[in-house]
Amino acid sequence: MQKIVEVKNVEKIYGKADEKQYKALSDVNFEVQPGEFVGIMGASGSGKTTLLNILSTLDTATSGSVKIAGQDITKLNTNEMADFRANQIGFIFQDFNLLENLTAYENVALPLALQNVSPKKIKPAVTAITEKLGLTDILNHYPTELSGGQKQRVAAARALVHEPKIVFGDEPTGALDSKSARALMDTMTKINHEDNVSILLVTHDPFSASYCDRILFIKDGEIGQELRKDDNTRGEFYQEILDSLGTFAE
Amino acid sequence: MLNKLALSGIRHRMRDYTVLFSGLMIASAIFYMFLSLATNKTFLSSNSPAAATAFIFGFGIILLSIITIVYINYANTFLLSMRQKEYGMFMMLGAKSSKISKMIFVETFAIGAISTLIGSAIGIVATKYVSQWMINALDMQIKHFNSFYLPALMWTFIFFIVLFIFSAIRNSISLRRTKVLTLLHKDSQPSKIKRNGAVKFIQAIIGLIFLAIGYYSMFYMGKNAMFIYLGVPIALVTIVIGTYFTINAAITAVISMLKRNTKFSQKGLNNFTLSQLSFRIADYTKILSMVSIMFALALGAITVGLGFQKQISTVVNGQNYYDVAVHNADTAQKNRINHLSGDDQYNYSYKVDDKSKTVYYRASEFKKQPFYYESFNMKSMLATTKKSTNINNPDVSYSMQQNMLPKYRMNQLKAVSDAEYNKIQANSDTLTLVKTTSFKNNLSKIKTISKEEAKRYPDLKQAGGDKYSAYVMINGFFSGLEFMGFFLGIAFLAMLASCLMFKILSGASGDVKRYNMLHKIGTRQRTLRSTINKEIAVLFAVPAGLGIIHVLVGLQMFKGILFQPYSHIEVPFGIFIILYLGYYLLTRYLYKKIVLK
Repeated sequence: MQKIVEVKNVEKIYGKADEKQYKALSDVNFEVQPGEFVGIMGASGSGKTTLLNILSTLDTATSGSVKIAGQDITKLNTNEMADFRANQIGFIFQDFNLLENLTAYENVALPLALQNVSPKKIKPAVTAITEKLGLTDILNHYPTELSGGQKQRVAAARALVHEPKIVFGDEPTGALDSKSARALMDTMTKINHEDNVSILLVTHDPFSASYCDRILFIKDGEIGQELRKDDNTRGEFYQEILDSLGTFAE
Repeated sequence: MLNKLALSGIRHRMRDYTVLFSGLMIASAIFYMFLSLATNKTFLSSNSPAAATAFIFGFGIILLSIITIVYINYANTFLLSMRQKEYGMFMMLGAKSSKISKMIFVETFAIGAISTLIGSAIGIVATKYVSQWMINALDMQIKHFNSFYLPALMWTFIFFIVLFIFSAIRNSISLRRTKVLTLLHKDSQPSKIKRNGAVKFIQAIIGLIFLAIGYYSMFYMGKNAMFIYLGVPIALVTIVIGTYFTINAAITAVISMLKRNTKFSQKGLNNFTLSQLSFRIADYTKILSMVSIMFALALGAITVGLGFQKQISTVVNGQNYYDVAVHNADTAQKNRINHLSGDDQYNYSYKVDDKSKTVYYRASEFKKQPFYYESFNMKSMLATTKKSTNINNPDVSYSMQQNMLPKYRMNQLKAVSDAEYNKIQANSDTLTLVKTTSFKNNLSKIKTISKEEAKRYPDLKQAGGDKYSAYVMINGFFSGLEFMGFFLGIAFLAMLASCLMFKILSGASGDVKRYNMLHKIGTRQRTLRSTINKEIAVLFAVPAGLGIIHVLVGLQMFKGILFQPYSHIEVPFGIFIILYLGYYLLTRYLYKKIVLK
């Protein structure tokens, strides 16, 4: 089966050749299978956001190759990158990144409108995903009228509405209270299981990470340890993550 | 240390500061340019025959002052929006608020004073070149105009320095009152949403009623000139209120209608653009109404100014059908006449009998070459061209007299048969009349012929009578009005467009996040750019559209003074729209520089 993400020998160096250089990523290799829920964990400055930016075509790698759904994204031009993000990727950000001048419905519909999907098809698609995420009652509200948890669910609906190949989450629970964080992670797991959507999550929060199937630990730009949930319960996996973090940080 | 930090903050945002500085310099330059005209009483009285001129300019000063205050206010908001985060950070690090407010006071005042100084200098130079350009381009005759006028310079300084002292005080007070946290997170403060359909509907109705009253009073003024002193303020107030409500309500209604049309709104970023606009309109109502009024005043001033220019040829042509009248043309004059375009040349022989004070013409020559003359209709205020072979007709002889040498103008004219003519004991002279294809295009050649003719017959210098002398007199009469109209128009336009530009640019920093997000979810740069273009285009087009309607209706006021206020209206509209378009392009360029990475 085709892999969803295939990262080979990726390196990212900041600074020009004649300046002081800083290596943010070195020799990163990993894969994500279809329908997998993968977490990338690491401390601040470990390179996880750089990695996510490269995977989502917001930044480019200095060397190495990145394939998403079989397509080598390191060879795309700016326009192709934009189209790629619009068609193949869904995004959930820490600070929601909703447009506060659009209603919840309009925010969710935006990716489809961007792809020039006909309005007739937009409505059923938005209705379906918002029903699944329990947003039906708040569709006509503006983001300022919503709670943090609701905002993040709207953001999740926006990330999923165009049926992307993979959803990237950048600390999606970072700005939520514990109850909302739990609800969001439950929803994401449900979607991952029921609809077989691949999810790649970047976080430093062990609780959110415990929902993943597999965790990659990144430190100083290199991927070190890997943890698999396998048949463990979420509680056991959480404990395992905490233990790993303890040893990994040393 | 803090001062050093503040200075380095300015250096980092040099581009934004350049925008701010150039905007303020333009403002003071324009203010000076306008005052150099408006406060120069000798200039006003020697260039305009109308008593209303001082009144119009008084009004102009008030309007320009108001718009300048608003302008400085926006520029100040722009400055504060740039600095507050940094000042918030200083305060968080422990800087005393009194120290910070002193810093912002000094900064605001310094920026104001420096830009006023440079701006006034630019104003002096610009006044010189703009006026020279206008005088040459429109062949105007302007008396007592000097680009450097000390009282205007002093008033500009005083006005701007006072404004900046107020702005500086306001900035330091507002900074002292705001909480540190609010300062730090100013960019992410959400705007509130208001939804009140019924109120909007009532506003739309009120707006239209006020516009109707304003428009009617302008119509009425066109018919009753005495109503002007009451009519102008009435029209101004009602149209201002009407415009405000119309923009606030009607435009919002159009936007929500477009939003409801899913075929349109759910295509690409249309919905985003519409939402941006509907949020903006609420915030922009005041400035858009002000801009539309100013737009109307500025465009109106230029249109009326040019209306007077058009009037010149109408009035000049009404004075005399023939472009050139030469007596006993010598070879040099004949040569000059032959170089004129068009060959409608008429030669009439005449003899003067000094005793009976009569000038005799050959009737046969009039039969062969009928005489053309302008007949003025007092009702329609228009002259029509007529021709006649009968010189004894009083209208004809009156027109003919104007072409004659001054000493014979009081004589009686008589057309006689060739036999009788030959019997008269006097020298036979020749009068050559020429009608060219265009008086304007041949102006410089006609001028030479007229000057030469005045050298040969010195009486002509005083008496005039030929078309060129009429042109000189009328051009002098109308040029002053035209110059003022043009100047007023351009000053207003530059000011209002800069105002709108600033308002839009000061909102740009809040948009950075939105456009960045759209970029992240896969919007192409081209789409983002076209969204920005559309959004700014609407913000420019709304006041322009309303302003154009105001002018079209407003020209009714001038029906009494101008023959055809609407003829060739495309010229001033064209000039104006090109200048305005320039501002639009500049704004969207600067906006994209700020918003798109």
